[in-house]
Amino acid sequence: MVNKITTAPQGRYLHAMAIAAMVLVALVFAGCNTGSDVPPQEQRVQDLSKGIMCPVCPGESIDQSQHPLSLQMRDLVREQVGQGRTDSDIKSFFVERYGPSVLLEPPRSGLSLLVWVVPVVAVALAVIIVVIVVRGMTRPKYASATAGPTSQVRLAEDEKERYIRRIEAAIESNEGKK
Amino acid sequence: MIVDAGYVALAIALLTIGYVAVASFVGAWQRIPAMVLSARYGLMTVPVLLLVATIALVYAFVNHDFSVAYVADNSNLAMPASYTWVAFYAGNQGSLLFIALVFSILTVAAVLGMGRKLPYTTPYATSVMAGVLTFFMFVIVFLANPLDRLDSMPFDGQGINPLLIHFGMFIHPPVQMMGLISVAIPFSIAIGALLAGRGGRDEWVDQGRLWGMLSWLLLTIGLLLGSWWAYTILGWGGYWAWDPVENSALMPWLAMTAFVHSIMVQKRRGMFRMWNIVIVAIAFTLAEMGMFINRGGPVPSVHSFAQSTMGWLFLFFMGFTLVASLAAFAWRMNTLRSREKLDSWLSRESAFLAQNVLFLAVAFITLWGTIYPVFSRAAQDVTITVGQPFFDRINGPLLLVIVFLMGVGPLLPWRKASARNVLSVVKVPLIGAAVTADVVAAAGVRQPVAVVAVAVCAIAIIGIVHEWVRGTRSRHSKGESYPVAFGRLLMANRPRYGGYIVHLAITMLAIGAIGSSFYEVQRDFNLKPGETASLADYTLQYTNTTSQRFSDREEVTAHFTVRRGDESLGAMETTRSFYSNFNVSATRAAIRSTLVEDLYIVPSEFGDDGSAVIRVLVSPLVWWMWAAGPLFVFGTLLALSPRRQPAYAAIRVPRGSRPAQA
Repeated sequence: MVNKITTAPQGRYLHAMAIAAMVLVALVFAGCNTGSDVPPQEQRVQDLSKGIMCPVCPGESIDQSQHPLSLQMRDLVREQVGQGRTDSDIKSFFVERYGPSVLLEPPRSGLSLLVWVVPVVAVALAVIIVVIVVRGMTRPKYASATAGPTSQVRLAEDEKERYIRRIEAAIESNEGKK
Repeated sequence: MIVDAGYVALAIALLTIGYVAVASFVGAWQRIPAMVLSARYGLMTVPVLLLVATIALVYAFVNHDFSVAYVADNSNLAMPASYTWVAFYAGNQGSLLFIALVFSILTVAAVLGMGRKLPYTTPYATSVMAGVLTFFMFVIVFLANPLDRLDSMPFDGQGINPLLIHFGMFIHPPVQMMGLISVAIPFSIAIGALLAGRGGRDEWVDQGRLWGMLSWLLLTIGLLLGSWWAYTILGWGGYWAWDPVENSALMPWLAMTAFVHSIMVQKRRGMFRMWNIVIVAIAFTLAEMGMFINRGGPVPSVHSFAQSTMGWLFLFFMGFTLVASLAAFAWRMNTLRSREKLDSWLSRESAFLAQNVLFLAVAFITLWGTIYPVFSRAAQDVTITVGQPFFDRINGPLLLVIVFLMGVGPLLPWRKASARNVLSVVKVPLIGAAVTADVVAAAGVRQPVAVVAVAVCAIAIIGIVHEWVRGTRSRHSKGESYPVAFGRLLMANRPRYGGYIVHLAITMLAIGAIGSSFYEVQRDFNLKPGETASLADYTLQYTNTTSQRFSDREEVTAHFTVRRGDESLGAMETTRSFYSNFNVSATRAAIRSTLVEDLYIVPSEFGDDGSAVIRVLVSPLVWWMWAAGPLFVFGTLLALSPRRQPAYAAIRVPRGSRPAQA
């Protein structure tokens, strides 16, 4: 089992079944593709509204909040989109009125750049640290890739371990993995 | 009278649990069995004492005893007795009592369950749990006593927050609170084993896994119910907005998800011993932070209804937990060496490791985004809002990678795999995913990200189904009928296949999230009676509004007749209630849910002339998210269910069959 996964002769039917199941899922998705009949301008209003916070209901965008102020602000967005102003113009209009905290997406400049940079750096650092630590705890090369029932056994302990592994594999394949 | 008895019971509970925390530790450390035993018996009395206080508070609610400040703040004469359940935890004091009561019961259950199996660890673990409970009892008795009296008894109470009167709110907050506090149990077991110097023997792993998964399940259900509540009540058609309180419940869930996976590596291979203890300590710290943010923490949110200034005390306790765990860890680190080494990068162990790193990364990013506004206020005096767009953009891709790993990881063998092994096990899922992507794209899904996301979900589903089909067929060929074969297959390796069911549930969540976030359409309409609006295939005609006045609220209901294409779907109605005492409106959306999509109508404003501003949404596949809930429960319980017989007894090799190949 460690060496080779045996493919059952009926493998092809299984593939067919899996594919059929997926086609069903895909059709469901296709069914949902209702084709937006929201006019592009209205869509822009919605997209902008999703990025602007309702000043009196913290954490909610004016798109989601049903507060009267949010309704007014949505109308303001709609009006300005109608006047053909650009997204950044509209955003700065609200920033002037309500301060920078009105934008739900922090700007990518100044100190707010930190918000965006730190996650990327942190994930990169985490990956590097894990690689270094794991290298330290990885078994030396000789026991890896080529190891199998036929490979050379160096230590009695290794032999025992391999034996246990074979038993484990046998149990597992009996439990339905065969 | 009963209230006074409850008051006294709380004080005694504080003294007792404080004693338990100290005596259990000292007794174990100095090897004084009588002391350990006294602590154990002391612990048993605490749930009883807290039950007395709970009954006292319920009694006060039911009898409208407004001399109790908490009752006056959270109920009124008009409140039916059945709402006492909600009123009980609607405020800070009551919710703390609820947490203390639940935690004391869980603690007793945990201590009873592991006492015989972990004789060395249990006294230390008891001490840690008692320490946590002592903190809560201290806060309850001195700072937030739910049984405190008012100087003068008001004629009527304030009433209950109307947003809480919803089926979801009857379950979500208690489950969420139970979930957050229950993280303390696997944490205590791990720290107990560490303090006892037994962290390196993997004996604590089974108990840690059991409580870790129960806690994970509670957190999962809490999150799902919270989203469902937001979807039906908050009235914007969404279910998740990366709001600080939502995040604070998500972070411990993420850490616990990492824990319940990495603990399996210790169980099977005796590795990750240090890591498991660190990760459960992180999870508990994040759970404390969840309680901190929910309790008038520093970040504004729609959900923090139980506000107070004691959040800072929780912050202090959180810091203390972290420092104390680190100290215990540093002290006992020498006992935690791994039994095994990692054989290869291509192995299930390293898949688990990658899973852990990813989950912690998402947790960290969520934490960072949640608390950054506090930093920015402190550093520059300018509040920067970090909202949904940030989290979608940064966490979205990571979550997709997690789903991918969830599909591939379980297919890898333990220890090591060659590139050919890997290729042969991932071949079917990858081909299936590619086919799915093609089909979806051909069917008209145009957004590349959505196509990729669907393909990734397909890998996960096909990997699981493929393994099930193979296993079932192999059993069927030995003479079992298909349903029996499938059932026995699941039963033969419950931790694995229970996990698979949970993975399927996660995939359902992902499918719902993909459908609704990429293909939701929404539009606001201003309608006069008789007018129609149409969105997607749906046409709705606004008939009229009716209004009704109740003692505490005024309800306006808008009625619609809905058609889809030529097919009539009947009437739908959506209600907006205004509670004048609270100056709060609550909406109840009209939702028509199908497997494919939800039609969602919610009122924004009603004009005096009978006109209505409504929002209509068509949100695909949302149903699947809620349907995942029962699967989570079933899968987790299956994975936890104990075996009646030892593993080898379950294998019966029929006469004449070939021996298994190694």
